[in-house]
Amino acid sequence: MRKPMVPTRRQFLGYSSSALVGLAAFPSSRAKADAAEFKVGMFLPQGGPASIFLAGGRACAELAVDEVNAGGGISGRKVRLVFADGGVAPAEAAKSAIRLILDERVEIITGSHDGGVREALVSAIKGKVPYVFSPVTENGNCSANTYYLGETAQQQNEIIFDALVKPRNLKSFYLVGNDYSWPRAVNENSKKFIAESGGKIVGEEYVPFGTPNRFEEIVTRIKSVNPDVILITLVGGDNVTFNRTFGAFGTDGRILRVGYLLEEQTLAGIGADGSRNLFSALGYFSTAPGGAGDQFKQAFSAKFGETSPQLFAQVGTIGVDSYAAVHFARALIAKAGSTKARDCMAASEGLSFTTATGPAVMMHRYVNRTMYLAECKGTTFSVVATKEGVRNESSCKT
Amino acid sequence: MSAAKAGIMVVLAVPFAFGEYALYQMSLYFLYAVAAVGVGLCWGQVGVLPLGHALFFGIAAYLAGFVLIAGDNAPWLLLLLPLAALVAGIIAFAIGILVFRRVGESGPYFSMITLALSLLAFQVTTNWASLTGGFDGLKDIPSLPGLDSTMANYAASAAALVAVLAGGHWLMASPLGVLWRAIAQNERRVALFGFNTNLLKAVAFGISGLFAGIGGTIYASQQGFVTPQVVGFGLSAELVIWAAVGGRGSLVGPVIGTLLIGTLTSELRDTFRFWEVLTAVSFIVVVLFFPSGLVGLMDPVVRWLDGKPKVRDDIEAPVSVRNGAPPRRLKIDQVTVRAGEVLILDRLNLDLGSKGISCIIGPNGAGKTSTFNVVSGEMRASQGVVTYGDLVLTRMAAHRIAATAGIGRKLQFPSVFPDLSIAENLAIALWSGRASASDLLRPWVRRWTSPLLRQLRLRYAFLSSGARKASELSHGERQILELSMAILTEPRILLLDEPCAGLSPDETSTVIDVIRWASEATGCAVVIIEHDMSLVLKLADAVYVLHNGTLLARGSVKEIQANEDVRSIYAGNRK
Amino acid sequence: MQDLIAAQTINLIYAVTLLAVLSLGLAVIFGLLGVLNLAHGEFIMLGAYCAVVVRQNGWPFLTAIPLAILVCGSIGYVIEVLIMRRLYRRTFDTLVATWGLSLLLRKSAEAVFGLTYRSVETPLPGTIDVFGVPYPAYRLAVIGLGATAIFVLAIWYGNSRTGLRIRAMTGNPELAQSLGLSVKRLAAGTFVTGTCLAALSGVMIAPLVPVFPYMGLDYVLRTFFVIVVGGLGSVIGLVYGALAIGGLDSAVSAFSNGTYGYLSVIVLAIAFLWLRPRGIHVRG
Repeated sequence: MRKPMVPTRRQFLGYSSSALVGLAAFPSSRAKADAAEFKVGMFLPQGGPASIFLAGGRACAELAVDEVNAGGGISGRKVRLVFADGGVAPAEAAKSAIRLILDERVEIITGSHDGGVREALVSAIKGKVPYVFSPVTENGNCSANTYYLGETAQQQNEIIFDALVKPRNLKSFYLVGNDYSWPRAVNENSKKFIAESGGKIVGEEYVPFGTPNRFEEIVTRIKSVNPDVILITLVGGDNVTFNRTFGAFGTDGRILRVGYLLEEQTLAGIGADGSRNLFSALGYFSTAPGGAGDQFKQAFSAKFGETSPQLFAQVGTIGVDSYAAVHFARALIAKAGSTKARDCMAASEGLSFTTATGPAVMMHRYVNRTMYLAECKGTTFSVVATKEGVRNESSCKT
Repeated sequence: MSAAKAGIMVVLAVPFAFGEYALYQMSLYFLYAVAAVGVGLCWGQVGVLPLGHALFFGIAAYLAGFVLIAGDNAPWLLLLLPLAALVAGIIAFAIGILVFRRVGESGPYFSMITLALSLLAFQVTTNWASLTGGFDGLKDIPSLPGLDSTMANYAASAAALVAVLAGGHWLMASPLGVLWRAIAQNERRVALFGFNTNLLKAVAFGISGLFAGIGGTIYASQQGFVTPQVVGFGLSAELVIWAAVGGRGSLVGPVIGTLLIGTLTSELRDTFRFWEVLTAVSFIVVVLFFPSGLVGLMDPVVRWLDGKPKVRDDIEAPVSVRNGAPPRRLKIDQVTVRAGEVLILDRLNLDLGSKGISCIIGPNGAGKTSTFNVVSGEMRASQGVVTYGDLVLTRMAAHRIAATAGIGRKLQFPSVFPDLSIAENLAIALWSGRASASDLLRPWVRRWTSPLLRQLRLRYAFLSSGARKASELSHGERQILELSMAILTEPRILLLDEPCAGLSPDETSTVIDVIRWASEATGCAVVIIEHDMSLVLKLADAVYVLHNGTLLARGSVKEIQANEDVRSIYAGNRK
Repeated sequence: MQDLIAAQTINLIYAVTLLAVLSLGLAVIFGLLGVLNLAHGEFIMLGAYCAVVVRQNGWPFLTAIPLAILVCGSIGYVIEVLIMRRLYRRTFDTLVATWGLSLLLRKSAEAVFGLTYRSVETPLPGTIDVFGVPYPAYRLAVIGLGATAIFVLAIWYGNSRTGLRIRAMTGNPELAQSLGLSVKRLAAGTFVTGTCLAALSGVMIAPLVPVFPYMGLDYVLRTFFVIVVGGLGSVIGLVYGALAIGGLDSAVSAFSNGTYGYLSVIVLAIAFLWLRPRGIHVRG
């Protein structure tokens, strides 16, 4: 009788292990380093609540890539974006960074995401490529080889206090924020300004981050304290819910509110119901007047054509930060002449690069920039004050 | 162990077959897999689903982070590192003890407690910034000396995974593993054999916490940062899903689930926006069509790789602690049991003596089974006491009554462990009163035998086909299996609840023989609840008649037959 | 100070009512079918989107109600027939399946409506004075309607024939079947009722919160805690649970802060799960 053609177990184990070792002869098949391309790794939230910023950020980044490529790319090579999900747990993001560096061979990494992911990326990248953290940020972080493009609390407060608090003689402040590092750091900075302006804090409170919150109790309490102004460091859905609740309670007659992360999408969520006497201070508003902002808008419309108004409505300061990140990458590499950590750190000092509101300058790895104060009119921002060349207070080494 | 060898070969081949990134990815997923194995152990073996298992992963990760940071200046502190995992395990065990003792049930309530604890931990770690670094996490954690390259990290993760799998394999093969699976099927029955099921479940939960802790400890060194997400709901849910999709019933199932789903999502999430749709559909499909997970599909391959199990000789079990001790008097004194408004036992007095075969008869609802339940500690008396000799049973837990008083029981409906083999069913009975705590960790203890077992096998041939599952047995065989199990514990008092229900006349007469033989061979007293008067006639030395929760009459069979009261209630019952 | 206490008291009543209404759908499905529907929040989300759609087309706000019943009722029915029907009594498997379902519904909403915050204009703007305290009119309407709905449901469940059948079914499915009750149809009806109730509560909260695909995540746990603390299988238990969870959260938030409010809710839930898993109100 013929033996069946089934290998014995011992044979099978032998075959399979030699097959695996055979695979080892081939280098990893995924690395497709193309010498003609300069790859930029970009972390944007592709899942989770923060992914509302995805479409806008992506569009802005692609626009910037077109512009950079039209101007000859980076080091004469065409720029290509490689996206990774920034809306994940830090360890997953760190893993994606390793993949971008090892398999995709990106030469710089940029990201617009939360601080937990930022620290994980710093730790994973370990200076192998430059890392650009582009969104709004607190001051005080100085991780090596990391460049912070966002508005700092210091810059926000400078325009808030110069253009709103002092002229209107606002004296009593109520601070409300989500309970995590960014709001607390912002409020630390705000307290300095409040003390300088002779104001006093009549309330400070935090609500948990990452869970649903109702704000009826807080609004009622604020109403009873009756401050001149509320400084809001709530983010995302909580920011929307707080302001809608505030509007519903009919308390927006006298008390002013200032949001520290109140951009186009959040305002759309708040709606006209809740946006009376609400202000925001950021480095970009789609409605800001002036040459550079208009240029950006025209370029955006030209690229995205039909879909542009709808897409443009999703672009706020979180969004154009990715535009700036790509331009920053070009300027940095052009000046440094390499992607080595030391060269880049040195080159970043005093580096001028394009943003959606015109050129900005990096000092001590943070950005000196134009700041705007806007008042909400229905669901649009009306810019009421502009302050150019607002310096950052960073003391990061270069 | 050939399937295991194949697995180890794959693990060894990865560094050569794939690039550095795959290595990095695997070293992270191996750690998650270590935690998922813990989830699988709890859920698949004991039937307890931990929904917040990241808690233990995270606790260990934070502790290890503190130690590693402190160890930068004082290297001797690094010796404390294993404590991080151990503490996670101890916390898990403590939670298990506290919850199981209170709730007993191990259903969704336990799961939800673990989930809520994980939510709590997330908030605490986010808010307690001075200790944990808050939302941005504990950063700049130095890696363990020597573990600073991708390859070294891979080796450490792989070693941890292999170690945990080997440990898990050992546990599953040991009597403890058998008891866990028995608990998942019929916890009450395990307790009635004298095992502290709440403790056994807590041990399982503690071990699974320890596994998660091992993963977390290495994670801190490998990643260099620890953020609140590692204690939170997201990772907890992922661990459960990996275990479910891979297959919770086996040890490698969760590993396969973690590696497959983990790599799949990380491949997809950066490139395909709707990747979650794919994962969502795959969960649903697996749950609907492959309830034993992906590993269930590979069963034939594994069996083929492993070949036939070797048959080994039995080992003589040590003598039971109960062996030869004379039974003492079992006495029920003025016991009342209520369920809501209904009186189930009404100041019942029953002196069951200490020898021979007694029968309890009475119409339906007389309180016969409830009497047994009170004796074996499953039902609480609102007043009155049950004593065994000078031992008061009334406030003792069921497993302690079975273990210390040596009161064995056969339930009314044949109550064996359907998914365990016949040999395992019998072994559980043999361990009762014989196995020490350390015996429960010795796989060869599963091969114990005893003189009684050999004789039972002579009487009932099917008891010798040990590999068959109990669920394959007929109703009659199951009755006999359970009776045999009750006898094998060598109880001092054996409570039998309708041992012949549903048996053929032939089977009935052999059962009667066995009961007589067992009572003589082990010297135990037997109490039987029986409806069939012909049986009572053949067996009983004394008869007790219960009616409406009280004792109506007692005496010899003849006396009872002549009793007018008894006649009238039985006649009344027939109307 | 008196005004503050009065206002915070109304806030507490509002919080409790809102939570009770949000929990209804979950309670029906968990209490009667034993299925912990992790997609509960997603049905709330779909309901809220119905309000968005209605408002976008300029239809009256109330037309969102039939739309929500139609949309979520049919989705619920399809899910019951295709998935849930095979999984009753497999508690842990239903967890995994409904988890998958929640991902699926969330991503579907993302595909249809896009990933942006939507706001629904309040149908009842302005405030009304209650005991001298101006309170938002729509929230007062939520209190009134919510309380009425729960009251009606309690009466109906206690007295109607369908209520009796459902109780028979959950008490003893085999017996119910032998009595000629169609357990299949009842189970489907119960599941659909649960999804519709979730959707209706979604319509209700749409003017209060940002509407977006991920909003559902927020509601599952809190509503689950309500059921655990209150006790399964009765409307009265649900009310107790909402009182305990919503009341504690609201009171602690009012006099301390939101973080402690949230932490105390989790601790309360753990205490109940541990010490009194059958909840405050035990049926039977």
